[in-house]
Amino acid sequence: MTKATNLPPIAPIDAVSARMAHSADHLRLVASGAWTLAQIHQIEAALAVGHPPDIRQLRVDLSAVTALDTAGAYVLSRWIRRITHEGAELELHVANEAQKALLHRVEVVERRPLARQRSSAFVLMLDRIGRATIEFRHAAHDLLGFFGIVVITMFRVLAQPRRLRFISLVAHIERIGLHALPILGLLSFLIGVVLAYQGADQLRAYGAEIFTVNLLGISILRELGVLLTAIMVAGRSGSAFAAEIGTMKVNEEVDAMTTLGLDPIEVLVLPRILAMLIALPLLTLYASLMALGGGAVMAMTALDIGFAQFLNQLSGAIVASTFWTGMIKAPVFAFAIALVGCYEGLQVTGSAESVGHHTTRSVVESIFLVIIADAAFSILFSIMGV
Amino acid sequence: MTPDQPVIRVRGLVTRFGTHTIHDGLDLDVRPGEVIGVVGGSGSGKSVLLRTIIGLKRPEGGSIDVLGRSTAKLDTAGWKALQSRWGVLFQNGALFSALTVAQNVRVPFLEHTDLAAKLVGDLIRVKIDMVGLPAEAGAKYPSELSGGMRKRAALARALALDPEILFLDEPTAGLDPISAAAFDQLIRDLQRALGLTVVIVTHDLDTLVTITDRIAVLVDTRIIVGTLNELLDNPHPWIREYFHGPRGRAARHES
Repeated sequence: MTKATNLPPIAPIDAVSARMAHSADHLRLVASGAWTLAQIHQIEAALAVGHPPDIRQLRVDLSAVTALDTAGAYVLSRWIRRITHEGAELELHVANEAQKALLHRVEVVERRPLARQRSSAFVLMLDRIGRATIEFRHAAHDLLGFFGIVVITMFRVLAQPRRLRFISLVAHIERIGLHALPILGLLSFLIGVVLAYQGADQLRAYGAEIFTVNLLGISILRELGVLLTAIMVAGRSGSAFAAEIGTMKVNEEVDAMTTLGLDPIEVLVLPRILAMLIALPLLTLYASLMALGGGAVMAMTALDIGFAQFLNQLSGAIVASTFWTGMIKAPVFAFAIALVGCYEGLQVTGSAESVGHHTTRSVVESIFLVIIADAAFSILFSIMGV
Repeated sequence: MTPDQPVIRVRGLVTRFGTHTIHDGLDLDVRPGEVIGVVGGSGSGKSVLLRTIIGLKRPEGGSIDVLGRSTAKLDTAGWKALQSRWGVLFQNGALFSALTVAQNVRVPFLEHTDLAAKLVGDLIRVKIDMVGLPAEAGAKYPSELSGGMRKRAALARALALDPEILFLDEPTAGLDPISAAAFDQLIRDLQRALGLTVVIVTHDLDTLVTITDRIAVLVDTRIIVGTLNELLDNPHPWIREYFHGPRGRAARHES
């Protein structure tokens, strides 16, 4: 074999040479050395030497070539083709049949583009918008259908509480709720601190620093506590739902479940949604308290508002409805996050990339839905005058 | 260095996962220009052996020489030089999913050579044609290809730099018998045309019978190497079971 002599690694490789001689309309190329990828620059340089026009007879002698690979063969055959194309006749002398076969093999004449034909940027953009719109419509339609199935299953299970996967439910509550406490607590506390600081800075101009407490109480209890918790949980647990169910989908576990007579909605989706419905309101309460705590600490240290004064001002600023308008959103957000997470998980098909894709989508969609729902609540509350 | 010196020489190889010993004092010689098949039961460490030779796993003991170089003593530059002289075809192709087939084949050129873009494009076309893919496959993404085509595309990437050694991990796994036979034939043809040394890890008895020159059987943390006929007479119970079992008989009968 041609390669056998080229075995020693990083060893002196036989120098390439291409001696050209011509007489009248005869051109003769005597090649020697290793015609391989490593030597490709020398090979190209050696063949770049010009030759007289109107060659009728081309004689290529490869018997002294010690190694020939596809790169060397390709460059040589391209050179040969260029001359024979002008009407020359080829006479080929090879060291072995393998060289000849290889030279023949690399003769790819078709020069098809390696990339796809590109349309103009404007057309591409229109195309993308169109696709996204149609996809959005389908996704909304499917999600609504999934919502229906989940609700029906939920009522069926509630009618027969024995069918509820209790252990799974508790495990999910632990993972969504308990395990989120440290990070959510820290985050809320810091938001409380930042809010108190920024609020006090603005209100000081009017000598109304004490109203920082009102600002904190209303904004945290009505909006920020629940929104912060929902976004945090969407990123932490909604994505986990999509990834877990998606991985099971890839492993065909969901299919196996169905063939064994288990309903994936009942086994996988329902415990997660119920766990989220229980955990998210509790987390919201916890996050609101932590944020108020952060605000109180800030008020004490930077504004000289004592803790008793803080509580006093707070109880004057908020009424029961302030608290409940915030809390009532929690189960709705919980349902949206869990529904989207499970839905995207079940949309996974085939490959591992699909899991990543749908996990990302679950986070984006659930946060989107949470904010849409929050806006809807704001409109509703303003109509109701709460 | 003589042409008869082994391309790969493994001496006293020991590999472990935790306390579980996979190979214990394994010796293997791969001769230049041969096609060697590596077989063994599930968990016998076929893929581990391959991964150890190509440097993805560090051995716990023993030495591995590839192309006359001890892999344990190589520095980064040495590894890079060695890597450009072998090609690896992973079980599922391991094509980069974000790149088209042509871009996948281009990766080794970008990393190891400084050729002009036009020449690289031409060489990519040659490789894609060589592995029996249609020219338009170059613009496709791996997800748009069938299993057999994906393997061919991965082979084109493995062959990009005209390596001297080709490692194949279960090349025909997951292919239908017709595609598998065609792939076997392709490997044999390319091996002849390019003078490759080929190491195939496989379960496929048809592959073993049709294209390998010698077979290395992993049993009891060691390796037994021989031609098919030599192994047929081997008294080891696993080897007897493997080649004389119903599937083994059928594969030999066909060829």
